[in-house]
Order: sequence, then C-alpha cells, then structure tokens
Amino acid sequence: MMQSYDFDIKQIKNLSLEETNSRQKNLDLFFKSGFPSKQVEDWKFTDLNLILSKNFKSISNKVNFAFSEKLETIKHFEHNHIFLNNGKIISSSFAYEDTNKILIKDFDQKEPTNFNPANTLTLLNSALSSGGFSLEVTKNYKLKKPLIIYNYFSKDLDNKILNNKNFIKLNEGSELTLIDYNDGHVQSNFIKNTVDTVSLEDNAVLKNILIQESKSNGHFYKYIKSSLESGSKYENYILSSGLKLNKIEIEINLNKKDSSCTIYSALNLLDDQHQEIKTRINHNSPNCKSYQKIKNVLNDKSRGVYQGKIFVEKIAQKTDAYQLSKALILNDNAEFDAKPELEIYADDVKCSHGSTSGSIDSDAVHYLMTRGIPKKEAVKLLINGFLNEVLENINTSEIKSFLEKILEKQINGH
Amino acid sequence: MLKIKDLKATINEKSILKGLNLDIKPGEIHAIMGPNGSGKSTLANVLSGKNGYEIEGEIYFNGINLNDLKIEERAQKGIFLAFQYPLEIPGVNTNNFLKTSLNAVRKARGKKELDTLTFLKLIKEKAKELNIDEKFLSRQLNVGFSGGEKKKNEILQMKLLEPKLSILDETDSGLDIDALRIVADGVNSYKNKENAFLIITHYQRLLDYIKPDYIHVLSAGRIVKTGNADLGKQLEKTGYENLI
Repeated sequence: MMQSYDFDIKQIKNLSLEETNSRQKNLDLFFKSGFPSKQVEDWKFTDLNLILSKNFKSISNKVNFAFSEKLETIKHFEHNHIFLNNGKIISSSFAYEDTNKILIKDFDQKEPTNFNPANTLTLLNSALSSGGFSLEVTKNYKLKKPLIIYNYFSKDLDNKILNNKNFIKLNEGSELTLIDYNDGHVQSNFIKNTVDTVSLEDNAVLKNILIQESKSNGHFYKYIKSSLESGSKYENYILSSGLKLNKIEIEINLNKKDSSCTIYSALNLLDDQHQEIKTRINHNSPNCKSYQKIKNVLNDKSRGVYQGKIFVEKIAQKTDAYQLSKALILNDNAEFDAKPELEIYADDVKCSHGSTSGSIDSDAVHYLMTRGIPKKEAVKLLINGFLNEVLENINTSEIKSFLEKILEKQINGH
Repeated sequence: MLKIKDLKATINEKSILKGLNLDIKPGEIHAIMGPNGSGKSTLANVLSGKNGYEIEGEIYFNGINLNDLKIEERAQKGIFLAFQYPLEIPGVNTNNFLKTSLNAVRKARGKKELDTLTFLKLIKEKAKELNIDEKFLSRQLNVGFSGGEKKKNEILQMKLLEPKLSILDETDSGLDIDALRIVADGVNSYKNKENAFLIITHYQRLLDYIKPDYIHVLSAGRIVKTGNADLGKQLEKTGYENLI
C-alpha cells in the first residue's frame, strides 16, 4: 500500500525562524530514508516501514489537542499524578509532597537539535515534537508517594502520529517512583513516537514502571536516553502487553562509578502483537552494575524481540553486567528473536548473558491437571508464574500487588 | 469403587501392563508391590490419565468409565495421585496453587469456592497436622523442597482435596523415619469407610505404618499373587524371585 505523509512543522506554534529551520533540516533528513525497514540493522527484527505500510494509508501530524474526557485516577494506592493528553500536560497534582521541591512544566521545545541520521525516528521526533513534559526533583528530596503519569489520547487519532519529548531529572540524592500508565481510552489506529531524556545525579534513585492497562491499536516507539552519575540507581519495569506494536529502546550510560541499572520486562503477547525491547548499556566507569531480565510469552501469531547490548569501556573495571532473556512460545505461528551482544574492552569484569526459548512444560501442566485444574487454567498459572518472577524485587507491597493484578489481566487478554 | 478389568497399557510400542485385574471397595487399603519395571508406576499414570499410553481393557470408577474423563475431571471426581517425583514448578506460589486446585475441585463438586481468608485458615490447619512449616506455603511450588517436604506436600494436597481414591506412588521413597511416620499418620487419619487407598511401594517399610487389607504382587504387567498384610512381611524375607 502506498503511503502519503502529511508532516507539517507549521503545526507547532511559537517557533522562531531558527527553530523552524532546524526542525526542517531534521525532517528533510528523515525523508531521505523514511521509516526504518529491516534493512537497517537496528530494525532487522521489526520492519517498521512494512508494518506501518500495512496499517496506515496516510500519516499526519495534524493532531487536535482538544480534550473533554473525564479524568480518573486509580484507587489502589495513594499517589501523585500528571494527566497528559496526546503527551501534553492537562493537569498535575503533588498533594503528598513539598511542591517547592518538584518542578513540572511543559517541555521546552527550544532545547532539541538532533540531526543524527542514524535513527530516523528520533529525527522525525526532533522535527515534529510538540507537547511533552519536563520534570525535575530538587536535591535530596525523596518523593513520599509514587507519581503516576496518566496518558490520555483524544478520540480522533486515526492515521495520526504524535511526537513527544520528555525530560526527567533527579538531582543529587533525590528519589522517585514513576509509573507511566497507558489506559485504553482510545482505539484509534495511531503512532506515538516518544523520546525521553533521563538524567540521574549522584545517588539519585529512579524507579520507572511502564504499564499498558488495556489492548490498544497504538503503534508506539519510545527512545529513552539516560545518564547516571555516581551511586545513582535506575530501575525499569516494562509491562506493556496489549499494544499492536511497541518498540522500546533504552540507552543507559553508567557514566560514574557505583551507578547501577536494571531492566525487567514481562510481556504476554497475543494476536499479531509485536514488541521489541532494545537496550544498550554503556559501562563508562568502574564498579557499575547492570542487570536485565526479559521475559516473553508468545501466543497466536505474536512476535517478541530482544536486542541487548552491553558495552564495557576500557576504564570500566569491576563491571558487573548480566542479561537474560527467556521466552515461552505457545503457538507454532509465534516467534521470538534474541540478539545478545557483549563488547568488552576492560579485563577485570563479570559479564554474562543467556537466552532460552521453549514451549510450556507439559509435565507441569499434567501435574496441575491431576489436581483438578483444567488445562487452560493450568497453562495460565504457569504463564503467570513465569512472568511474575520479574516483580520479585519490587519491595512496596501495594505497588507489587497492583502490578500482579495488571499482569494477570494481561495474561487473560485484558 | 475402582474396577479394573484386563487392563493393557502400551507406551512407544512397548507393552507394560499386560492384562491387569483389580477391584477396590470403599474403606479398603490395597498395596501393590513388585520389582522395578513391573508396571507399578504405569498403573498410577494410567489411572491419573497421563497422555502417551495406548490403553485396552476397562477401568470403572464408581460406575464411570475412566477413559471418558479428562485428567482434571478424574481429580474432580475424587481420584488423587501422590507423585513419586512431585514436580518443582518455579514461579507458581504454593498457596496460590493449592487455592486454585481446591476451588477448581469444589466448583466441579457443586460446592462454593473459598475466599482467600477462609482458604488460608483451612490450609494452616491442614499444614499443622502434617507438621509442615507455614513458610513453605508461601514459597514456589516444591522449588528447593527436600524429598520429604515434597512428599508431605503431596499428602497435604490429598487431605485438602478429599479424594475417594488416593493412589500413593512410592510415597515412602526418599523419606526419613520421622517423615515416614508423619506421612503414614496423614494417611491413617484420613482413612474412613468411604474412601480407599492404593499404595504402590517397593518395600514393606511403609506397610509397617499403614496396614493394608490386601497386598498384590505385580510382575511383568500382571498381578501374580494377592494376599493379606502377611504377604508383605514374607516378601521382605524371601524377595520377589520366588513368586515370579
């Protein structure tokens, strides 16, 4: 199917001539190669161009930001919140916090200049980004309650693309649990292209939990670029089952000693859903730790991909890096691809990686059935056990039980 | 309760059971003894409904043809198999598994499903009877359990699901003397006029604690001798060779 793109920089208001020109330069560069196809190494398992051409006749960035829906928060635990519509802040509340310690505002669109032709989606993002937020926590402030970012979308998003940039900075010694929560208020067939920049100063701790609450026709791409200073900690939990297409690319730069990061993911993919997690962990300093555990259950015709690279600089001695991907493939038409990569220049490091995929343990199913549990339920119990493991390290019990419920819902097909 | 007539079972073209007959009535304890490879575990597997066997002959359980029942339906109707090697299932919480199992069985028997609080109270009681430490119940199913703990967990499931026919497949193997006594006490305390046991064992040891009404000697897929409890003691002295 031939696509037509209607990408218009004039959609974005209040741009100076200089900003318009720099955006145009990014857009021109994007058009040179277009959406990436499998010929691009980073996209060899996710042929975005093909997937989009199958699902979109035309793509436009002319998005109406008008919003009339009722805003609702979850009731499972006390939390601060930000409501976004199409990525733009509608309102926020930090009722549990000292609000002087938290800075939240619209993303300053003047900041980005990209011009990096290696990733055409980030080029497109730099050309067209609007909305987005900027969040900063001041030195030594530890938020008392988690922050949930509720992502709402307007109803008429068919054939639209949203481009958002967000910025999160935790200053020295500050702590935040951030839950990026996508609800299925919209069933439009649309694209969301997000670039997040995360900056963690000395000893800051960020827990980032990504939740897809219900099935969605969204085609999401998210690029997270983070930099970590001494002793800081960055934890990621990805529970994004339900999206038609999702690719999350996380680049973590462990720039100073004793910083550490984790990436846990639990996905149960159905129908023809396609999700890729691509990570690049740069150990740029000694004594840093990284830990990745990626778990996928593939049903129907779904496809899961994990590309994980650990890069260890020559000076990054005493690096401790680990990555593991495990997949349960429940249907002959489903597929899982894993591409683990280690590139190590230091000589005193501990790096390991592993990848397994297989079908469900039929002896375990049999055992459960001999206890009166019907096959379908037995399989679900095993899937649940397989995926739930990634939640083991969440030590706030109310958040953990909330995530367990989300995961159970996802296993039941939302 | 259980009537087996001329049962033949073949797996991968290898004939294991070659015409087995057995009749178990409510309130009875039957023991099946026999050398390795005689078909003891195959009999347990076939009764539980394990896939992969080609079966001829008849098995009736309270008048129902077992071949018509799925694996889970057999459990729901009251057949319980305590495994020789209980499986370790990573990720599955023991309590969650026990509750799912009990409620599936209760639902099939037309009883109300138990809510979490009622269940936890019940399971605590049952675990205490078997001297099972509560902390095992919040661990992953059988993962890192010792042999004895796994077997006690099987008996716990038996007492929870209240079967009519309990099949114990070499439950005594891997048990030390204390665990053996606890398992035997578990069985004896559950025994009543309504239910029956089929105890598959290699040795007389377990039968010192659980007194069988009948002992059958299985050899090469057939029952070659049936006797009372004394037969076990005799076998202990003379071995199987004289009978086969």
